[in-house]
Amino acid sequence: MAGAIIENMSTKKLCIVGGALLAFQVVAFLVGGLIAPSPTSAVPYVSIKCIDVRKNHHKTKWLMPWGPNQCEKIKDFDEAVSRQIEANDIVFAVHIPLPPNEMSPWFQFMLFILQLDVAFKMHNVIQDNAEITLDVSLAYRDDMSSEWKEMAHAIETRKLKCAFHSPKTPESEGRYYDCDLLPFMEIGSVAHKFYLINIRLPVNERKKINLGIGEIKDIRLVGIHQNGGFTKVWFAMKTFLTPSILIIMIWYWRRIKMMTRAPVLLEKVIFALGISMTFINIPVEWFSIGFDWTWMLLFGDIRQGIFYAMLLSFWIIFCGEHMMDQNERNRLSGYWKQVGPIAVGSFCLFIFDMCERGVQLKNPFYSIWTTDVGTELAMAFIIVAGICLCLYFLFLCFMVFQVFRNISGKQSSLPAMSKARRLHYEGLIFRFKFLMLITLACAAMTVIFFIVSQVTEGHWKWGDLTIQANSAFFTGIYGMWNLYVFALMFLYAPSHKNYGEDQSNGDLGVNSGEELQLTTTITHVDGPTEVYKLARKEAQE
Amino acid sequence: MSSRTSLRLAALCMLLLPPACAYFGLTGKEALTHFPLLGPSTNPAQGKVHLKQCDLLKLSRKQKRLCRREPGLAETLRDAIRLGIMECQYQFRNERWNCSLEGRTSLLKRGFKETAFLYAASSAALTHSLARACSAGRMERCTCDDSPDLENRKAWQWGVCGDNLKYSTKFLKNFLGQKKIGKDLRAKVDIHNTNVGIKAVKNGLKTTCKCHGVSGSCAVRTCWKQLSPFHETGKLLKLRYDDAIKVFSATNDAVGHSELVGPQKHGHSSKNPTSPRPTDLVYVEDSPSFCRPSKYSLGTAGRTCSREANCDSMCCGRGYNTQSQMVTFSCHCQVQWCCYVECQQCMQEEVVYSCKQ
Repeated sequence: MAGAIIENMSTKKLCIVGGALLAFQVVAFLVGGLIAPSPTSAVPYVSIKCIDVRKNHHKTKWLMPWGPNQCEKIKDFDEAVSRQIEANDIVFAVHIPLPPNEMSPWFQFMLFILQLDVAFKMHNVIQDNAEITLDVSLAYRDDMSSEWKEMAHAIETRKLKCAFHSPKTPESEGRYYDCDLLPFMEIGSVAHKFYLINIRLPVNERKKINLGIGEIKDIRLVGIHQNGGFTKVWFAMKTFLTPSILIIMIWYWRRIKMMTRAPVLLEKVIFALGISMTFINIPVEWFSIGFDWTWMLLFGDIRQGIFYAMLLSFWIIFCGEHMMDQNERNRLSGYWKQVGPIAVGSFCLFIFDMCERGVQLKNPFYSIWTTDVGTELAMAFIIVAGICLCLYFLFLCFMVFQVFRNISGKQSSLPAMSKARRLHYEGLIFRFKFLMLITLACAAMTVIFFIVSQVTEGHWKWGDLTIQANSAFFTGIYGMWNLYVFALMFLYAPSHKNYGEDQSNGDLGVNSGEELQLTTTITHVDGPTEVYKLARKEAQE
Repeated sequence: MSSRTSLRLAALCMLLLPPACAYFGLTGKEALTHFPLLGPSTNPAQGKVHLKQCDLLKLSRKQKRLCRREPGLAETLRDAIRLGIMECQYQFRNERWNCSLEGRTSLLKRGFKETAFLYAASSAALTHSLARACSAGRMERCTCDDSPDLENRKAWQWGVCGDNLKYSTKFLKNFLGQKKIGKDLRAKVDIHNTNVGIKAVKNGLKTTCKCHGVSGSCAVRTCWKQLSPFHETGKLLKLRYDDAIKVFSATNDAVGHSELVGPQKHGHSSKNPTSPRPTDLVYVEDSPSFCRPSKYSLGTAGRTCSREANCDSMCCGRGYNTQSQMVTFSCHCQVQWCCYVECQQCMQEEVVYSCKQ
């Protein structure tokens, strides 16, 4: 990769490009901060305790917590005791969403968290390693009057991790345990308007099911979904970004094809990065508005994973190709040591994601974290991926260090070199330093905004103006990496000025005049005009 | 709990009473009357049951209007009263004043520390119950309220609806009629204490987060605020009761209207008296001892106490009777999470202390 646009661009033009990119960056932040609402909403639900009055439980009948045809309710379990209702006849019902609202495909996904209110009783304490068995079923319907249709049914166990902070004396009876959140359900599309969850806690003395789980007072759920407004802004952004990246990608590839030589590895990698970015950008999510595609969540994960893997590989290869030692690389196999960990790590995360979100396509109540084996397996995958990532960063840091060492070595010997070689090395050094700078800036921005969004609460207020920090973070960072890829393809595309079109250009007077201006960007050592003139002579010879 | 019968009680508030009468719950000026039992299987959706329930509750005209507008409100109000009473009696089980409902009317006419607690506990219970009723789907105008129907739907889909607690605070302030603040000191104290109750619920909110980014990473994280159990709110208010501040009215010359003013802090040389913090319970009169039967309480005679902890103070120095008795209690229980308890009866000798006449 010789003679990229960035080397031959005047400072002025570079500043204009930089300014334009910066303006787009600011717009990306503002779109999220001012137009979009917060990315997600959490809605608390308290289940209603219904009595299943039918004698046989074989037929599925849906119990509604409110509205017409609501179930027979009990207020608390004291009432159940006095009416001699058995535990097996109690159904916890939750209707999603809460009364006047309805769900919308714009919500993209729903995930639910289970919280148990367990009261302390002297003779009914939560035993160690207690497990709760839930018989859960999920139904949907699209208008208030039609029948419920079953969507999923499963018998799930969850570990109860509860702590009691008061002394365990009769005085503290009735106080609640502090229980960990339990993952409950995850659905990758919201295609229906109304959902209904019925939960039973069947007791079986013989099989020791649901014994020693304490005195359950209430079951609460928290439903999390993406906000419709955020989805719309996000889609709009994707729809705008896709053609932008696509166009620059096509332009870039044409530039490479126009050259007489075959494309080098680095050029191919940049192109691949463009493809993976486009892959993320393509707004296939528009289909989720019309179709019930529950795999969208998984697909989104995979797309992001591919992009991250591509980005990490690109950094390694970029460093390698600017190493300036005499090793000829230019082959992917030359980087197996560095790219290997990326492949292994992404593969681990892919398997993990398939085990979690993949299985959830079949059973939305599934969670890998609920069983011991599952937890160990999941942890194993994550740890391996973590090790791979560390390994990768060690390699990367080492390579960056090597490059800098070579740069300082080369810089001292630059004046002694022939002009053409000097020019070549100066180009390499400039390209490398420039990329280092913007990469570090982008990474730092990402990390800083990530930390800020984790630490602060979701939005800031200035008078009447509310800035949604979390949305701004998402749109801003997403826009930033898009601009990064865009800038990369634009600035690192092969230049016409240097090798290719120069020779065919007859009008020398204009050309050299232009060059005099163009080459001011590489002013490391001495008069650039001289360098270029000499270089051209040598090239022509 | 001794107040099994008091579980279904309602406040009576007549229009003839002073402006602050528009309170509700434990702080209704009239005696809590036995609430007519409505069967547990009452179905609010069937016809106009909730309207009947609203009529049965003794409410001001405005409150009745609000109650009729919202089908689930009547039931929620009853829940709130029950919650407030239970917690008040639990928190004061070891005090001379045990939050008994006898004498409550007289108590509310004064400005004692106990009155302050009643106001705070009442509004806290209302706030808590309202927010909970919203989550249970019992109320219809919870988060995206105050706008026409279509707008509501749009707000919900776009994702700009507020949370339940914000709604319940706002609703409560309207329900208790806080807009027109009375001029007199008592009304101000009552409003202040009511707001302390609302704040106590807000202070008890716990922020909980869930990560759900790529592969469950924290790249995307959603947080929400969660009501803490009402026991904790009660405990907090009890602490506030113990540190309640006596206030008096002072006219602020600069602004021209009177405001609540606390006592001078020791070592604080500033001449301007400090106004109480919004989290402090305030009172205007020193409490009676509650030792002997009075119009405020039945006195402490006959109350059981624990010898190590509080017999001396509870019995007001009159001494206590020691009685040894065999007590049966449940033991070796076989229990399920709900509704099934099978216990053996065990006997144990227990010493019971009770205050002398």
